[in-house]
Amino acid sequence: MLERVRLNGEAVEKNGDHKHKTHYARLFRRFVLLTVVCSLVPLLLVGWGINIHYTRFAKSRLIDSLQTQLADHRKIVELFLLERTSRLSLIAQTHSRDYLSNVLNLNTVFEILNRQDGSYTDLGVINVAGRHLSYIGPYDLMDKNYTNAFWFKKVMEKGIFISDMFMGFRKVPHFIIAILRTEKGQKWILRATIDTEVFSSLVESVQVGKFGEILLLNRQGVFQAAPRFSGEIMGKAPFPVREIHKGVKIYVSESDTNEKTQRFARQIIAQTWLEEPPWLLMIRQDYAEALNEVNHANKVTLIFLHLSALIILIVTILITRHMITVIKKRDLEADYLNRQFMQASKLASIGELSAGVAHEINNPLAIILTERQILLDEAGQLPDLNTDFKVQFLDSMEQIDVQIQRCKRITHNLLRFSRRTQSVIETVDINEFIGEVVELMEREARTSGIKFSTDLEENLPTLRSDPSQLQQVFLNMITNAMDAHDGMPYGTIRIHTRSAENNRGVNIGIADSGSGIAPENLAKIFDPFFSTKAVGKGTGLGLSICYSIIQRLGGDIGIESEVGKGTEFLLFLPLEPPRELKESLMTKAKGEMP
Amino acid sequence: MKETQILLVDDEVIFTRNLSKLLEVRGYEVTIANDGKSALRAFGETKFDVVVLDLKMPGMDGIATLEEIKKLGLFTETLILTGHGSSDTKAEADELGAYAYLNKPCDLDDLLAMIKKASEKKDYTEKRDDLDRLIKT
Repeated sequence: MLERVRLNGEAVEKNGDHKHKTHYARLFRRFVLLTVVCSLVPLLLVGWGINIHYTRFAKSRLIDSLQTQLADHRKIVELFLLERTSRLSLIAQTHSRDYLSNVLNLNTVFEILNRQDGSYTDLGVINVAGRHLSYIGPYDLMDKNYTNAFWFKKVMEKGIFISDMFMGFRKVPHFIIAILRTEKGQKWILRATIDTEVFSSLVESVQVGKFGEILLLNRQGVFQAAPRFSGEIMGKAPFPVREIHKGVKIYVSESDTNEKTQRFARQIIAQTWLEEPPWLLMIRQDYAEALNEVNHANKVTLIFLHLSALIILIVTILITRHMITVIKKRDLEADYLNRQFMQASKLASIGELSAGVAHEINNPLAIILTERQILLDEAGQLPDLNTDFKVQFLDSMEQIDVQIQRCKRITHNLLRFSRRTQSVIETVDINEFIGEVVELMEREARTSGIKFSTDLEENLPTLRSDPSQLQQVFLNMITNAMDAHDGMPYGTIRIHTRSAENNRGVNIGIADSGSGIAPENLAKIFDPFFSTKAVGKGTGLGLSICYSIIQRLGGDIGIESEVGKGTEFLLFLPLEPPRELKESLMTKAKGEMP
Repeated sequence: MKETQILLVDDEVIFTRNLSKLLEVRGYEVTIANDGKSALRAFGETKFDVVVLDLKMPGMDGIATLEEIKKLGLFTETLILTGHGSSDTKAEADELGAYAYLNKPCDLDDLLAMIKKASEKKDYTEKRDDLDRLIKT
């Protein structure tokens, strides 16, 4: 009976296994998805959104700042040139050629000019023939003829001319401002050379970040001031100069690489054209450096964001897995209880039915019995009865009695079965009981090469206990002991009985020579659904049922095990069941007594 | 010696008729009641030594009848004879002081033996009670 119930349980489990697995997998996916949709997606969306917004904001601020910087510098350069030009123009307009042709006078003017900022290298008055009338400066240029110089032609043409940087007769990079004056029909030129260093410092002194620079180029792409990295004054820029345009233009240059100066491939460039002379003022900054802080902040926030997302995901998965395990366990327990309940109610209804049938048959049986007795009585009164008939009559009466007794046995058996579905306390001789159980299991054990050896104490006191439940416990224990020899060619199961101290009850030991139980599993061995057997092989309920039965019967169960040596279960059963059980069963137990 | 007076209470009419016939043949005085109420009525007319009582009856069942009989405070012993025996009803009957509990179908000899014992017990308790009263007075 026990075997059947156990196997039934396993069959149900196996059948439902696949269905359950997909069910739990679906539940798992649903939980995880829900949590991800509700927490991770909004978190990531907000995180990314803020990030993109911040990057855009930072870029626009960078562009604004570049624009302002560029505009400021343009103003500085333009003002510098305008101031110089205006001053020279004023001198040319207010002084006559004759006056300035006098070197002493020219020197006075030169000194006054340089008193303020010393930005003039030299000053000269040149006639239409291209010859110096007078000259103040460090170079010996009095004998030079400028009629073929480009600036001479330009100033004759335009009246005022600011040249690009050029080498000229002195073979040093410089640029000049020349003013043409027409005095009483005669033309002359006031020409000043601007100190290259003073002018260059306007541009060179400006630091833009670690690798940024300000460049000043003419239309041919020649540096008008020494750049920090890209080359030297009067050198050709390593990149083409684009069309003249108005206002400030900002763009990102990708192709401009100069290995010598270890510049970076990606640069952000802001540029603007001066009006006169048409020079290009340019701020170049390494793109990565310009956006370094932004990028760094972005990187940190993104790492943090994704790390948080990952942690949430992992925690979600772990919690969900744990939850599913708990649900699975609950379901299994519910399933088990359900099966127990079904089994119990099935047995109960069969019991009820058989009890009813037995009772209904007993009444007519009693009537038949009395009728028989009457007939016998009556026959005894008749003296002259045909002998043959009398023999037949008595024979029939005897047969009726036999059949009535047979029916009686049947009805009594039915009643007994109906009572067995409930707990019953009876007198149990444990030694005899163990003998029966061992006999029952011996054949199965022999096929697995397992022997039984019993050491039963003589004169063991009898117990008052529930034999059907005890049978379940012993069958389970012995089945477990046999299973512990899985993969071993032979083994022994030793069973001993001893009367407990102070004659309180009986101690029983069931020891196997099997594989033993790992110490970490010992504490869990009586937990429901704990099993070390392969999936589908054990329900993990056997020992927990044993435990609860023994507890209910007022006994105790313990375990000793050593891996590789075997396991011993130690049971204690009291002489009398506990009072609660006795009280609940006493009335029924009395009814069973013969 | 006076005949033992038996009250037979069972809703199975044929069974009571048969059993009374058998008992009368064996020298007992039998009164039949087919339900609890007529059983109690019978006590008004006769003093019974032994009551043979079925448990499952329509209306007032055996246990209720036994309770009522106890209330009358008479000297009588009760035998339960039922086809519906169960441990619960046996316990109840024991509590109410039933002399024995027999299951149908019961051999006539067993029943007769029980009736004899019950009757003797009834006589004994009656006599003891009389003596007690005598001593007291």
